Amino acid sequence: MRTTRLASLSTALIVCISSQAGISSDRAVRIDGGTFIQPVLLDENQRTLEMESFYLDRAQVSNSDFLDFIQQYPNWRRDQAPGLFRDADYLKHWPEPDALGDGVAGADRPLTRVSWYAARAYCQAQGGRLPSMDEWEYASARQRTLTGQSDDDYADALFAWYSNPGAETLAAVGQGEAGPLGVHDLHGLVLEWVEDFELLLTMGDQTDLLNGSCGDTARMMPEFDAAHYATFLRYQSRSNYSPRTTTTTLGFRCAYDPEDMK
Amino acid sequence: MQARQLLLTAASMTLALSLAPLTLTADERLKHDGEFMVDGMIFGMPEARVFEEDYDGPPVVGETMTALPHLAPLTHEGNKTHEVRLDTFAQKIEVANGKTFNAWTFGGTVPGPTLHVREGDRVVFTMKNRSDEMVSVTEPVPGGSPFFSQLNENNYLKTEPAVSPMPHSMDFHSGTVAADDKWRTIPPGQSIEFEWVANYPGVFMYHCGTPSVLMHTAMGQYGAVVVSPKEGYDTDDQVDREYVIVQSEYYLRKHGDEYRYDHTAAMNRNPSQVVFNGHVNALNSEPLRANAGERVRLYLMNAGPNDTSSFHVIGAIFDRVWYEGNRENEWRGMQTVLLGASNSAVVEFIVPEEGSYKLVDHEFADAERGAAGTLIAGPRRQ
Repeated sequence: MRTTRLASLSTALIVCISSQAGISSDRAVRIDGGTFIQPVLLDENQRTLEMESFYLDRAQVSNSDFLDFIQQYPNWRRDQAPGLFRDADYLKHWPEPDALGDGVAGADRPLTRVSWYAARAYCQAQGGRLPSMDEWEYASARQRTLTGQSDDDYADALFAWYSNPGAETLAAVGQGEAGPLGVHDLHGLVLEWVEDFELLLTMGDQTDLLNGSCGDTARMMPEFDAAHYATFLRYQSRSNYSPRTTTTTLGFRCAYDPEDMK
Repeated sequence: MQARQLLLTAASMTLALSLAPLTLTADERLKHDGEFMVDGMIFGMPEARVFEEDYDGPPVVGETMTALPHLAPLTHEGNKTHEVRLDTFAQKIEVANGKTFNAWTFGGTVPGPTLHVREGDRVVFTMKNRSDEMVSVTEPVPGGSPFFSQLNENNYLKTEPAVSPMPHSMDFHSGTVAADDKWRTIPPGQSIEFEWVANYPGVFMYHCGTPSVLMHTAMGQYGAVVVSPKEGYDTDDQVDREYVIVQSEYYLRKHGDEYRYDHTAAMNRNPSQVVFNGHVNALNSEPLRANAGERVRLYLMNAGPNDTSSFHVIGAIFDRVWYEGNRENEWRGMQTVLLGASNSAVVEFIVPEEGSYKLVDHEFADAERGAAGTLIAGPRRQ
């Protein structure tokens, strides 16, 4: 609840929404709707959702993308953005509030050290929004189905990445193989903000009264294989962020409704 | 030296007892509104405080925070409040010769530093989640705890800073509190502060309780708290040497040029290494030392996260065992102590003669994977 109120307040920081005539399909790809079985149990029940089609950025937002944004909306610069909407490390890796640098601060590197408030303000300014958790996870599940990646390979790759995310040496965005969906690096580059990241396990609005503590894994997993554990860890870690959190392995990409596309 | 200190402490305690009552009234021991006493123990701690701080100081603060296998002597009489900091952050460590991995740690080592307090002491605990910072534990740290100088003298884990952002929490088995409040998970960049009172004596585990708790603990987030009984153990004035040993398992698999956590192996309870004090060679390259005829006390903690330990000293018999470290749970003449994951014991043995004594997990598959160490005994000193 608190987050929702602050979210609308943070939206006000976008003084005027840019009147774009639609999002270029160069930037985003269509994710066709379909059936999505949630990989984590809510309320002890497995849920099958019918997903609507949506568009998703091919790659994560880069440092240069975000530099363009704060030049247009300087109240999201690190020296001007209200502390309510970011922690002290927001964009800390940039050498100046409005200048990029080398390595992880390079123009083509994924934007990190960005709060949820700033991420959703960025997407809104593009005429889009953050993907919902189900949309993001649906895209991930579809990609796994289409590529035929085995459960074990998926789990191996994810646990290796979670335990050693390589935050000091991030590769450029859009460089990983796009796969059949045309989406790059859903896994293996940076974790991504989603609109309703707190939905599961959080204490904030008591979605889960047992609040996702030690030993809560089993009651939330429909299957006990390594792949489901790897997925659960992503849900869990996401739930524990604060919307002000900024870290070196957390970025985002935007989603769009079909009617907003060119 | 240590024995003399213990004797002096015992003597001064006796003196203090004869001069002034050590028993504080409830009013003096209760610190916050809402606290209450049951059977002389304090419950009802204030709510944890989660906040952001601009802190880049020593990640381990507290005068009784030590690197394994050391234990800081308690120099205070009666009870006191300990201001303790233990930040959580990633660190590249070696667990066997040439095998390194990026661990999630408390304080930069696996296991983390050992905290020593007395039954009835209060701990005001602060932890910052610095998992997205490069934190060094090998540079000189003004204001840091004895942990740093001890680590510098024997950095057998070869620690190097690393970054691995992840939400984390702290669960002290030595604290009696509502876990959903005190042990709550905080994201990178946030800090938590809470209090607990050491209501029970013993050797207690601390660990990260954030799901998957198996992964967080197997990645290295655990350590020991020693709570000495307020009356002491009956043999306190006879003990010559004291050491802390924490047993635990690693589940690592080669991934490219490095080793990384293997969740399937962890679920199957198939460790790649089982270790004392974090490294297969920790108690061999720097063996424990004693002399023939001395009484050695070991504070044992089996951190797991999965397996039991059948702790045995080849050539010795445990003269005394206090299961979980509680003086009410005394056993005599034990050959082996069986510890489940998160069980502990205080054991004592008399070193029979000059020589070398192997410390092993007598579940030999685990000894073969590294759960072995050495105590070297010098000649008898009269």
